[in-house]
Amino acid sequence: MTEAVLSAPVVKPAPDRERLAAFGFIAPSMLIIALVFVLPLALLLGVSVLDAKGGINSANYTRLLGTPYYLGVIWNSLRLGLLTTLIAFLVSYPAAFALARARGPLRSTLLATLFLPLAASVIVKAFAWTILLRGDGLINTVLITLGIIEDPIRMIFTQTALITGAVNIFLPFMVLPIYAVVAQLDGRYAEAAATLGASPIVVFFRVILPLTLPGIIAGVALVFSLSVSAYVVPMLLIGEKYPTLATTIAKAYLLAREPGFGAAAGVVLLAIAVIVVALSTLLSREPK
Amino acid sequence: MHPFSRRSLLKTGAAFAATFAAPSLVRAAPKEIVIGGPAGAAKYFNADLFPVLEKKLDCKVLYEGTNSLTNLQKMQADKASPKISVVIMDDPVMLPAAAEGLITKMSSSSIANLGRLVDGAVHQDGLWANYQKPWAGIAYSSKRMKTAPVSWADLWDAKYESKIIVPSLSNTEGFWTLLAAAHLETGKPYKEAQYDIDAAFKKVKSLKANLLNVYTNAPQAINLLEQGEAWMIGGQFSAYTLIRKADGSPVDLAIPADGGFAMPSGIAKVTNGPAGDVADAVIDFFLSPEAQTILADKAFVAPTNQGTPRPAGFPDPAQLFAPDWAFFAKNRAGWVDRWSKEMT
Repeated sequence: MTEAVLSAPVVKPAPDRERLAAFGFIAPSMLIIALVFVLPLALLLGVSVLDAKGGINSANYTRLLGTPYYLGVIWNSLRLGLLTTLIAFLVSYPAAFALARARGPLRSTLLATLFLPLAASVIVKAFAWTILLRGDGLINTVLITLGIIEDPIRMIFTQTALITGAVNIFLPFMVLPIYAVVAQLDGRYAEAAATLGASPIVVFFRVILPLTLPGIIAGVALVFSLSVSAYVVPMLLIGEKYPTLATTIAKAYLLAREPGFGAAAGVVLLAIAVIVVALSTLLSREPK
Repeated sequence: MHPFSRRSLLKTGAAFAATFAAPSLVRAAPKEIVIGGPAGAAKYFNADLFPVLEKKLDCKVLYEGTNSLTNLQKMQADKASPKISVVIMDDPVMLPAAAEGLITKMSSSSIANLGRLVDGAVHQDGLWANYQKPWAGIAYSSKRMKTAPVSWADLWDAKYESKIIVPSLSNTEGFWTLLAAAHLETGKPYKEAQYDIDAAFKKVKSLKANLLNVYTNAPQAINLLEQGEAWMIGGQFSAYTLIRKADGSPVDLAIPADGGFAMPSGIAKVTNGPAGDVADAVIDFFLSPEAQTILADKAFVAPTNQGTPRPAGFPDPAQLFAPDWAFFAKNRAGWVDRWSKEMT
């Protein structure tokens, strides 16, 4: 009896039924995604090819991609995204290691300093930077007190202010993914490489960096997407001197009343973000 | 159980009568009315004007403070089902709103104060009316400048490198800098210079070295002036600047010798907006001497109701130039685009 039971073939559900059941499970989420993501995206694409008179053509894209001024705007957005991401990475990488190595109250304190700023509004943080950077602000006051400078340096409404503020605001989104990977890192890999004669530099580039790459890629994708599309940060820290795609979209919709052009700029911005995320996904795939 | 008395019957009857004979406004009064208006006015509207209005009309005001063009865009988007009942916008933005049928005619029968305004305050047969007249000049930091600027040309003085803020042309007040630039470049009076926009852009481009910032957010700009980070703001309103001076901030407003500007603010009823009868009452209140006295006292704007005395120290309207808003409204979109390209 027991033998008969054990030797009996396991009855598996038919593949079609399996697929149907799986589809049943994912159908609600697919419907939500279709309603809140695909449909608005389709509408955005539709509006982006409408000209002021309601005609369908590529005029908005021609204006955006064929005018030196707007190419400069696209470059401004890319530059903001690239510089913010690069500096945020350079600051975040050692910070993530420090966070992972810290123990007890120090770790709690470091985590609190990382998470607490997320509770403050972006607007508050951007305004705080204008206070720090102004002529009689903290930075100039310290520099003058230390005798490093005689007269205040103008930092407000400069690209330095913009990048500094953006890095500060988006930093946690770089630190956290890297920290999550570093915390899981097995220290014995580095020790093994060292016992085999690898120098610290070789250990870092051949062992540590590749192992932490998934966290870096996630952080880069997050920070770049956030900074390339930032609106409040450039508006408050540099204003109209540094037009970006996000500020151009706002102006097209709210001031110039050109929804078609605004939508086209939105599509271009979305394309930039999608390309970066797609590249990040490709890079994070393990080689077969 | 109490037996019916003549007194209790009279009381009950009076209560019934009061309920059914009350004005329709009281019976139909919604709890809330949405007013769209300028962000810069939010502070004194909310602090000084709306409490009086809410008490008077027994309603709750929801104020959506933004700039005039954004309010226009909201009205266009909600044309089929408006959410705003009353809109407060600059005159040049009222023009397209009127042309697109987004605002509806008002009459003296439902808004009594409409017939008591100074000449020229009611536009297009009652489509909108001016409830206040702020004036514009050069706002300056009294902490940084011991003497007030005397001419618009002072903004271009090389000693003010990176010390000047001007409004973006995205804001209506951005036109003042352009108008002053046209006058300085051509040497013509404002009345003629306002049409020479190429000369204006040529001159305003030479202001770049002196610019600390070009603002779209007025409170941020005023804040920088108060701190002394900015020394002057070209083309700034009395309502934004003098209200801060009254609070003790080291700022002041100068009307240059070559003249300041008049910027009438309009109020209008949104076509098919909710709570129409309350909207009429709200507009009537804005046009009343009671509201305009509060505004003149708290926000430094000249009244438009003939029954409201002009406070001492307010400039003579003859000193102030009112531009051709129709010309401005017609060309604005192109100018905003040009401004973006030439001033960044």
